[in-house]
Amino acid sequence: MLDTLVFVTVLLPFLVAAVLLVLREQNLRKVILVATAGVLALASLAMLRGGAFIMSPAPLYDSLITLGDFVILFVVLFVGMKRKNQIIIWLTAAQIIALIWLDFFTLKEHGSVPAFFADDLSLVMVLVISIVGSLIAVYGIGYMKEHEEHLHLTKSKQPQFFFFIVLFLGAMNGLVLANNLLWMYFFWECTTLCSFMLIGHDGTEIARKNAERALWMNVLGGTAFLFGIILLQKIVGTLSLQDILARGPQFAVAGGAILVPMFLLVFAGMTKAAQAPFQSWLTGAMVAPTPVSALLHSSTMVKAGVYIIVRLAPVYAGTYFSNFVALFGAFVFLATACLAAGQSNGKKILAYSTISNLALIIACAGINTPAAITAAIMLILFHAISKALMFLCVGAIEQKIGSRDIEDMRGLFAVMPRTALVAIIGIMTMMLPPFGMLMAKWMAIESAQGQFLLMIMLALGSGVTVLFWCRWAGLMLGTPVAKGRPEAQDITVRAPLYILAGLAMVVSFFSPVVYNTLVAPVVAMYYKTVPYTLPYGNFDSKMGIFLVYPLFILLGLGLFFALRQARKVTAAQCSQPYMCGEQLTVDGKPGFLGPLNQYVPATAGNYYLAQFFGEEMLSRWINVIALAVLVIMLFGGAL
Amino acid sequence: MTKIILAVLALVAAPLLGALITGVDRRITAWLQSRYGPPILQPIYDVLKLLGKEPMVTNTWQAVCAYVYIVGAALSVVLLFTGSDLLLIFFVLTVGAVFLVMGALASPSPYSQIGGQRELLQMLAYEPLLILVFAAIAMVTGSFKVSAVYELSRPLLYDLPLMYIVLGYALTIKLRKSPFDISASAHAHQELVRGVYTEYSGPFLAMIEIAHWYEVILVLGLCALFWSTSVVGMVVLVAVTYLAEIIVDNVTARLTWRFMLKSAVGMGLALTVVNMLWLYAQ
Amino acid sequence: MLGNLINQGRIKSPWVVHFDCGSCNGCDIEVLACLTPIYDIERFGILNIGNPKHADVLLVTGTVNQRNKHVLKNIYDQMPGPKAVIAIGACGCTGGVFREAYNVVGGVDKVIPVDVYVPGCPARPEVIIDGVVAALEKVKTLLGMTA
Repeated sequence: MLDTLVFVTVLLPFLVAAVLLVLREQNLRKVILVATAGVLALASLAMLRGGAFIMSPAPLYDSLITLGDFVILFVVLFVGMKRKNQIIIWLTAAQIIALIWLDFFTLKEHGSVPAFFADDLSLVMVLVISIVGSLIAVYGIGYMKEHEEHLHLTKSKQPQFFFFIVLFLGAMNGLVLANNLLWMYFFWECTTLCSFMLIGHDGTEIARKNAERALWMNVLGGTAFLFGIILLQKIVGTLSLQDILARGPQFAVAGGAILVPMFLLVFAGMTKAAQAPFQSWLTGAMVAPTPVSALLHSSTMVKAGVYIIVRLAPVYAGTYFSNFVALFGAFVFLATACLAAGQSNGKKILAYSTISNLALIIACAGINTPAAITAAIMLILFHAISKALMFLCVGAIEQKIGSRDIEDMRGLFAVMPRTALVAIIGIMTMMLPPFGMLMAKWMAIESAQGQFLLMIMLALGSGVTVLFWCRWAGLMLGTPVAKGRPEAQDITVRAPLYILAGLAMVVSFFSPVVYNTLVAPVVAMYYKTVPYTLPYGNFDSKMGIFLVYPLFILLGLGLFFALRQARKVTAAQCSQPYMCGEQLTVDGKPGFLGPLNQYVPATAGNYYLAQFFGEEMLSRWINVIALAVLVIMLFGGAL
Repeated sequence: MTKIILAVLALVAAPLLGALITGVDRRITAWLQSRYGPPILQPIYDVLKLLGKEPMVTNTWQAVCAYVYIVGAALSVVLLFTGSDLLLIFFVLTVGAVFLVMGALASPSPYSQIGGQRELLQMLAYEPLLILVFAAIAMVTGSFKVSAVYELSRPLLYDLPLMYIVLGYALTIKLRKSPFDISASAHAHQELVRGVYTEYSGPFLAMIEIAHWYEVILVLGLCALFWSTSVVGMVVLVAVTYLAEIIVDNVTARLTWRFMLKSAVGMGLALTVVNMLWLYAQ
Repeated sequence: MLGNLINQGRIKSPWVVHFDCGSCNGCDIEVLACLTPIYDIERFGILNIGNPKHADVLLVTGTVNQRNKHVLKNIYDQMPGPKAVIAIGACGCTGGVFREAYNVVGGVDKVIPVDVYVPGCPARPEVIIDGVVAALEKVKTLLGMTA
């Protein structure tokens, strides 16, 4: 049974991807994709029911992985040479040499390390990847059809597109289930390559440029990862993640030598999670079709980065290094929230907010208390759902109105009432109680108590977060009275939107259950205590209390009552907006009656506070500070 | 059981008390301006009248937003009275504020649009300050629970005098008092017509007024936490603070949002750091 | 019972919006004078609110002309009921000395229904306050609050 499940979640996507690559039949592709999505989702749920496990597949696979490593590295090297990118060439060459050395000269224990191991953290990740990721893949069917019609392609590039999308899911599942670090490295490089191919999918000049940037930054991370595991192998003497988690803390206490490989691995995680100063690859990645952005930002890729950081957190708990990680995370959280507030491009807002939330997860890993780790895992889960939802909404909106600028989304409710409503639900679940994201943020802030610098950055950051979410939600509602007709949408687009919106709310509602069954066991395993008790389903600890069900019930009742009151308002009670009495409406667009009885449309724009949140100016400083913190982290933390 | 009684008390008594305080506020303001001023019960008359007006909206979402705003405000007062979590109170308060802005942005009227944007800037200014104050309280009590404050043996004010000023700064913004009545004023002072309130009218405006009463009580309740050891101390502290707010309201002119943002964040952070250093030194 | 209370509120809290419909500013100055400490209309719960959507009473000064008549109409339409209109000054009541001018429509009542006329050139603050009180009496009768 277990073999089958691991096979289905990891290997099956690789096989399906291969089939999709050669398949040119549209409808069959659709069926295969939907079926794969369903199977993946079910398998991940079945795996969750099975609980923790350890598994070693046949030794043949070990050799395959080694082979795969070299194939990927040579492909990357080839790309680097073709693009004449010195950074990629040298870093990849270094990786090839180091890998040859590690694989053929140092490692004696080939095959003796179990390839897979899963605890609840891995299982949560598998769940996120398999369900959210699959939904994004399904959404891709309808989206890519429209996308290619729009581009007037003569030859569909969809086989290649879905090849990498499905491959990506398999690689991510492999990554989070891997126990042997060499296996993890293989999957890690897989995701790097996939993201490179997907970002460059449209083949435009800018897409190629951004893909190349994503590649070199991730190759840098990959190099750090490889050298990290080589050093780890030297110090701990094994490549088994499980052993390292069990025995690592002793090394951290004893000499601190283990902190150097820890730094390298965490650094690799930071590049993959697009933390400053490497944020530009993720913001550049939005040139790709929307399903790619959604996949990179929510359930895969960047989550691999934070996964490794959270995964290793118990090893470096209680060290100076950990404090620096927290500081770094909190700083990037604040800085990228400010960057998001200065943007009007919807996808860019989402990109920066992703980086900001990932930084919060990293900060939680750095704070490294049971409550903080709980917050980190909760954030991973809820962020994946809500952020995927937001990306898919923006994609659907962009295809309809031809813009991803939030200023153009003014009054979207009149044009696409359903999508607008779903997007607003997405925004609410991102920033308001009683939803999971906010609850996790509450945990994060409370667990930072006592570290005042962290607190200050978290406080400022969450203030800024409210600013950019709230205005986006508000302006989508900004319509004149007329109610729009529901928009037509492909079922493969609409269903993922509805399912994700439903999930975002339902999973939040069951957050105490999620905590009890998924999060608390992991935290208890590595930290020996659980942070919260759950009287009546409310999160309670010495530090504070979060009322889940009272808030859900009272706010829910409030909203229900409000909606009922709103329904009582009849069309006759609707009036024109106040325009000093000079209003004139033309084509449903409100405006003023200007000089010479000319119509002057009313226009409005958000404050983007360029003098505080300008991207150019701010990015430079953020990169410098982030780099400085990283350098200090290496020397100060490792010493 | 006591919690439920307290919750009901908060739900019913808070707005009435808030209305009376607002009435007294208007009376004192009139007195400071050498006027006679309206009756103490004037805010209640106003709201009664608004309730009786014909509902009128530019967009049905405004109705939803107005009602959610009052639910958020009322719920945060209930949470405060039942000794819940300070951060949670803050987040619930944010729900209301967010919906108020969404309702304002839902109307294409430029006045309401700018009002909504400015309200967001006000939130940007006061939210970090409030979180910092709550974090500082948690530093002293070791917990974010309101009930923990009441277990202290001496008033918070001794340990956090500067944080009280930070709180005052945040509250001036939250209570829509001059010099920070930038997005709308609690009184009928005109700025951008009525800023974020422009498009709410009749019963919906009444809801917002009642929500404002709840917020007054919430704000004063937060002030009261700083002298949690005696009831007399609480009353005196709250009265003095509110009087100071009224005087500030009357002697200052409205400032720009740039000044508000810079001064709130700058001064708030500076005072917080100094106060924290002092706390560590003790 | 609630209806009674609401009626009480209506009487005790008339919020006014002032619209200058092309006045010479004489009446406008007098309207604003009502707000000053000397007259202090807030004693009666009267607030000058500046937004028709919040107001109960529309104070109009000046003559109505071809250009601003639709503005007056719009503002009146944007006031949620129950509402009252007070025309202030000779111009507001009848068009005053300008009523024969080529672009003048006439008094306020040519465009919207007027409840109370306050004459004078300019109207004195006392008379304006009296006008508001008269409007309230009219409202009282409408609400059935007087015998």
